[in-house]
Amino acid sequence: MQHKDINEDIRWAQINKDVLRSMENPRKAYWISVGICLALLSLAVIAEIYQYNVGLGPTNLNWPHMWGLYIATFIFWIGMSHSGTLLSAILHIIHADWRKPIYRFAEAMTTFTLMTAGLFPIIHLGRVWNMYWVLPYYSDRGIWPNFRSPLVWDAFAISTYLTSSALFLFIGMIPDLAICRDNTRGWKKKLYTVLSLGWRGDDRQWRNFRKTYLIMACFLIPLAVSVHSIVSSDFAMSIMPGWHVTTFPPYFVAGALYSGCAGIITLFILLRYFFRFEQYMTLPILEKTCKLTFAIAMVWTYLNLIEYSSVWYGHDTVAKELLIDKFTGPYSPYFWAMNILGSVLPFTLAFEKLRRHIPTMFAVSILLNVGMWLERWMIVSPTLAMSYEPFTHTVMWASWVQWFIVIGSFGWFGLLFLVFVKIFPSVSMYEVKEMIFHRRHLANKDIAAVMHRRSSDPQPSEGH
Amino acid sequence: MKKYHLLGLFSNFDEAFAAISDIRHHKIPGVQLEDVTVISPIEHPEIDEVLGARPSHVPKFTLVGSLFGMSAGFLFLATAQANFAVQPQGGKPVIPLPSNIVLSYEMLILFGVLFTLTGFLLGARLLRKRKPLYSEKVSLDQVGIEMELEEKYIEPVKALFRQHQVIEIREEVVK
Amino acid sequence: MSLQNILQDWSKYRKGNEEGGFHDYEHLWGLAIDLNKCIGCNACSVACYAENNLAVVGKDKFAKHQEMHWLRVERYWDEPDLGEQAVSDYQSHGASFLPMMCQQCMAATCEPVCPVAATYHTPDGLNAQVYNRCIGSRYCSNNCPYRLRYFNFYSYYEDSWPAPLNMQLNPDLTVRDKGVMEKCTFCVQRIRAAKDVAKHEHRELQDGEFTTACAQTCPTQAIVFGDLLSLHTAGKAESTLSTLWRDQQVELGRTEQHKQNPDKRGYRVLEGLNTDPKVMYLERVREV
Repeated sequence: MQHKDINEDIRWAQINKDVLRSMENPRKAYWISVGICLALLSLAVIAEIYQYNVGLGPTNLNWPHMWGLYIATFIFWIGMSHSGTLLSAILHIIHADWRKPIYRFAEAMTTFTLMTAGLFPIIHLGRVWNMYWVLPYYSDRGIWPNFRSPLVWDAFAISTYLTSSALFLFIGMIPDLAICRDNTRGWKKKLYTVLSLGWRGDDRQWRNFRKTYLIMACFLIPLAVSVHSIVSSDFAMSIMPGWHVTTFPPYFVAGALYSGCAGIITLFILLRYFFRFEQYMTLPILEKTCKLTFAIAMVWTYLNLIEYSSVWYGHDTVAKELLIDKFTGPYSPYFWAMNILGSVLPFTLAFEKLRRHIPTMFAVSILLNVGMWLERWMIVSPTLAMSYEPFTHTVMWASWVQWFIVIGSFGWFGLLFLVFVKIFPSVSMYEVKEMIFHRRHLANKDIAAVMHRRSSDPQPSEGH
Repeated sequence: MKKYHLLGLFSNFDEAFAAISDIRHHKIPGVQLEDVTVISPIEHPEIDEVLGARPSHVPKFTLVGSLFGMSAGFLFLATAQANFAVQPQGGKPVIPLPSNIVLSYEMLILFGVLFTLTGFLLGARLLRKRKPLYSEKVSLDQVGIEMELEEKYIEPVKALFRQHQVIEIREEVVK
Repeated sequence: MSLQNILQDWSKYRKGNEEGGFHDYEHLWGLAIDLNKCIGCNACSVACYAENNLAVVGKDKFAKHQEMHWLRVERYWDEPDLGEQAVSDYQSHGASFLPMMCQQCMAATCEPVCPVAATYHTPDGLNAQVYNRCIGSRYCSNNCPYRLRYFNFYSYYEDSWPAPLNMQLNPDLTVRDKGVMEKCTFCVQRIRAAKDVAKHEHRELQDGEFTTACAQTCPTQAIVFGDLLSLHTAGKAESTLSTLWRDQQVELGRTEQHKQNPDKRGYRVLEGLNTDPKVMYLERVREV
């Protein structure tokens, strides 16, 4: 059984070769995946064209249910986007080097899930063609967006997060793009020459790179937390029972990290299988990711129980009625499914045998995300169904238009990701080299003693 | 006097480290440490030990960017709201502090990130024409020491490189 | 210029509802509805449809809750005091009616959540909706505890008024297209017209000079429309409505009313949420 995160004897040339190989000559499976994604995406396009022309009526949204699956799926995708930040930025800061082989695709996932999530608030607008009114641009008529609205905060937060995480992904990729530049020909070489910005790996570049990367990581962590807090403000800032909950910001952040981690496991397994990255995406790293997911799942469960109990023992009768309706009402099957998938299923991650069984982990990671999607839906819909005005209590089931767009978003994300893995290295080559280098030197204590000092540390005897 | 660029490629970091260490200890009189540039496939923070602390100005850019983002963000919001005074809403003040703090915070991060990027591009001297003396092996697994030298130092430096098992030496005249 | 503007008027810009708000109010339009008098005939709702060009959506869309009734008469069948008798469909045996229109809250929850500032508080104390600015994010409707905002899910006008019914549309206001939110305006076109007439005749607006379509139509005169400004700002002229509010010991700006006389029936719906609504209901009294 493999215990080491990575084989330290792997040759550096082999790393370059393996990763560069993954970027060329798409095989049949790749084109089939692209086809499936395009098919899913076209469903969404059809539904959106129909909705654009007719109005939002065919979605089955109605006056108590002004929001539905669009907003639920929006939160779901925003949640997924927190994976990259967690895995990359936090683990970078705490010097957990096992992130190095797997952080690249997690960051790509962050960027692409944000690009998917950002579409939903736009799609759900009644007058999509006026969506730019949310942006703060100068107008002769002195009209500004309403900066009090959490939806405007969303626009600010998501655009900041998208910019920052895309830059984080890109900056972390520059040394790898230089490797690509040195190993390709033709139009690809031209592309990578431009993208690598003239990187040659000299000490000045590395020194600035190190600082920049650390600063970006430090920015991304509070940013990610603020983004999902702001998304939770869409609900927490409202006055509705079941939305007006103080614990929503941490609850949303925990849920986001949870679904993001589960998403990482899914993509980890897919990449490992299709690109034969067994050397880099090893079982011990998968295990570590699973343990992390388990820990976050328990945090999420705790916050979930806190929410139930604070409502149950509180004096807000309307909120309590809503909670009872969630337990027993028309949405209860989905509510219980969410609780079981979100809180019980993660216990499979606690067993080493199961953690090392890849098909099980693949199924579990997908089911966890199904649970997290249900969670978001269970936040949005029951409140709209059961709020203050008893006359408006009604249940809404989404029509095909909503479902097509929700399903299509997975196709859109898949398409972006598939394009990414063929153009950009999905395993960080230079950082795997770093990981191997430092682990080998750590194994040798004498060298480690010299290597892991900074220039500012007191100098040992100058004889070397 | 003619000046030369010299690039020595080493198979591993320890050799290159030792070579620079020799230059640091003035094994070749007249060759300055400032003339040395190390090019490597991975990041070597420990290189500072022999190269000496070379400054990076990126954090200053970050600080300026963040402060600018925060203050300009708040002023922008407050002026926009004050000029759009037809808009009292929900019994809330025209300039509400809680939401402006949230948005100023986002602006702090956005401008912090953008300025950091600018600082990185300038500090790392990216987006310029690359020096022609470069080996593709560096992006693979070899460590290179690049030096800008006067003609008389070329032979002693080459000898020093060979002493440390250099694999390949390239040189060219500075135009 | 802008900076100067901020520094000079800072304290004014920082005034919330609790400190009297930003506006020097000209009027505070409000309503009082006596549920004892309400017979649930829905005439107010019909009048509202006629006055405000509300789309008639048809059976299917009504069943899907996509209707546009700015004023709806809510029906409840479970009067708790009646116990076992509360099975009948008759008003005297358990049915009760609650006409609900926009409560024109002083601290409206729908306003601050609109991303494009399409809804705001006017110097008349109304909660205005700017159709042209609305992009249809529908957050306002979600955040209205009364659920009194309606959305154009379709371009209803295309088949709501087949010719010659289009001739009956009120020319004083627009017909809304798909994708915008709309709600009760307290017949803002009537308010506008009355104000214009008063200004033309160089006089103040008189109490009772005009009224909303619902109040005008109510056969039992359960709905009273008027100006509440004297409840908000001292020294303003009393109106029939503000006298009624005072008589019922209902005050603006409270989350709970402290009444000297508990027999007074006036209350505001969900005022505990601090929305500060401007519609007062008079509780229904029933013989048990």
